[in-house]
Amino acid sequence: MARSAGAVRERQATVVGIHALPYAKNIGMTERNAGARAILAALGDAGLGVADVDGMFRYVWEGTTEMEMARILGVRNLRAFGEVDYGGGAGAPTVALAALAIESGLADVVVCWRARNRSSGGRPWASQYHATGQDQFERPYHIVRPVDGMAFHARHWIHRYGWKPELTGSVAITIREHARRNPMAMMRKPLSMDEYLSARMIADPLRLFDCCLETDAALAMVLTTAERARDLPSCPVYVQGYAMGSGPEMTAMTFFYGDELGATPNRWVAPELWRNTGLSPRDIDVVQFYDAFTFQIPIGFQEYGFCADGEAADYLASGEHPPYNTSGGGLSEAYTHGFNLLVEGVRQVRGTSSDQAPNVRHSMVTSGNVVPTGAIVFSKESW
Amino acid sequence: MSAANPAPSFPIPVPDADTQPFWDGCARGELLIQRCASCGRWLWQPRPICSRCQTPDPPWTRVSGAGTVASWTVIRPPTLAAYSELVPFVVLLVQLDEGVRLLGYLVDERGDLLRTDGVAEGLAMGSRVVLRFHDQAGTILPSWTLAV
Ligand SMILES: [Zn+2]
Repeated sequence: MARSAGAVRERQATVVGIHALPYAKNIGMTERNAGARAILAALGDAGLGVADVDGMFRYVWEGTTEMEMARILGVRNLRAFGEVDYGGGAGAPTVALAALAIESGLADVVVCWRARNRSSGGRPWASQYHATGQDQFERPYHIVRPVDGMAFHARHWIHRYGWKPELTGSVAITIREHARRNPMAMMRKPLSMDEYLSARMIADPLRLFDCCLETDAALAMVLTTAERARDLPSCPVYVQGYAMGSGPEMTAMTFFYGDELGATPNRWVAPELWRNTGLSPRDIDVVQFYDAFTFQIPIGFQEYGFCADGEAADYLASGEHPPYNTSGGGLSEAYTHGFNLLVEGVRQVRGTSSDQAPNVRHSMVTSGNVVPTGAIVFSKESW
Repeated sequence: MSAANPAPSFPIPVPDADTQPFWDGCARGELLIQRCASCGRWLWQPRPICSRCQTPDPPWTRVSGAGTVASWTVIRPPTLAAYSELVPFVVLLVQLDEGVRLLGYLVDERGDLLRTDGVAEGLAMGSRVVLRFHDQAGTILPSWTLAV
């Protein structure tokens, strides 16, 4: 049964609530506790309550299941629920599943969240000694940290595109400058190129400031239909569209065994995103690229088509690019598997960022691109 | 202190039926890669079906291990405890002459891990490498040394 265009528009997924607890090296509570508080605050931001919630989506890596969270909060029944795997690739896809559930009529008020004690809770890679699946061919060589996998891609890009350390240095400094305007950001000291270049290597060619922070964090987002959003007090932010992609021969972090060395899943998400949104890179006023590592910024601009393959260094130097990672991202605000990027993407449309871009109509957020991933566009106007 | 479940000092491969032949080959000093009997495609990582033509049970085929350096990294602190005295060392992404890419240590002629960042050895993209096997506390790991 086909629905009318008007009925489809009435159900456009709309972000009505966001919240981030203050970031910390030690948040002093469990992930479930912090996550529940972030969800309640996001519902408060939306002018909604627990009784309204009928859908929940989360990252697989989220330590609290939807069922446990629903039980804690007192949600009566989840009409839609699910999880997305693959670490930092899951951000936009998790919100995309929430939007899909709303658009399809499975649920009316959907919560997504990410709570992670990645600082006080220790490093997940430090306890993984029994290597199964793809890991058995990687971990015995100490390809265990996220940075270890990224390093092979980064060296390939340096070799292929002639990227200089100053390129990724300028990315780290640009993002730090955004963070300095953000009272919530963990890193607010200025960063100089000398400091960037002289910092120790972690996994060559990645230096310390190429790598994201280790943070305790809890954030949440509430979505509903465009129709319902009209009756709520918060500024509606419309989900223009989204896409997901894996590419061929995907092994999380280390997809360098297939034919296309150097191409990331972005390459497969990008055409889907532009088709699903009806937009092109020229329409994007501000972008949050997943930045566990600086190298993900220039490759992101290239692979999403903001500039041609191999032209990221000139493009970024030209200043023609939209502002990126305006809250300080994973590198300088907080590392939350990209949920802070989603929240910042919404703030940019609301006009409430600590480093607000002018006249934002379309705000793009991407997720981790060395794992299966996705991207989403939040917009000022509805379909 | 309980010694019931001590953490292994190095991460160890936990093979299953699809990967056991590879590790058995390593223990014999042979590098085995699957090659489809129907279409000839070389396949890595191990799998029960050819990903190009879907023919089951691609046979394990011994290769020389000769190849070139496709990329590499230098592991530096912070590391797992077992590696803390070994850093810095190099992990290579090697493209075998058959076309597939595998990870392995940069080792010397005897297969011993080199404590190096690769600079003194003249490591470069495209460097030719020769297969060696490195014994890591009893786990035999394919590794490579730079061809002279
Ligand atoms: Zn085949």
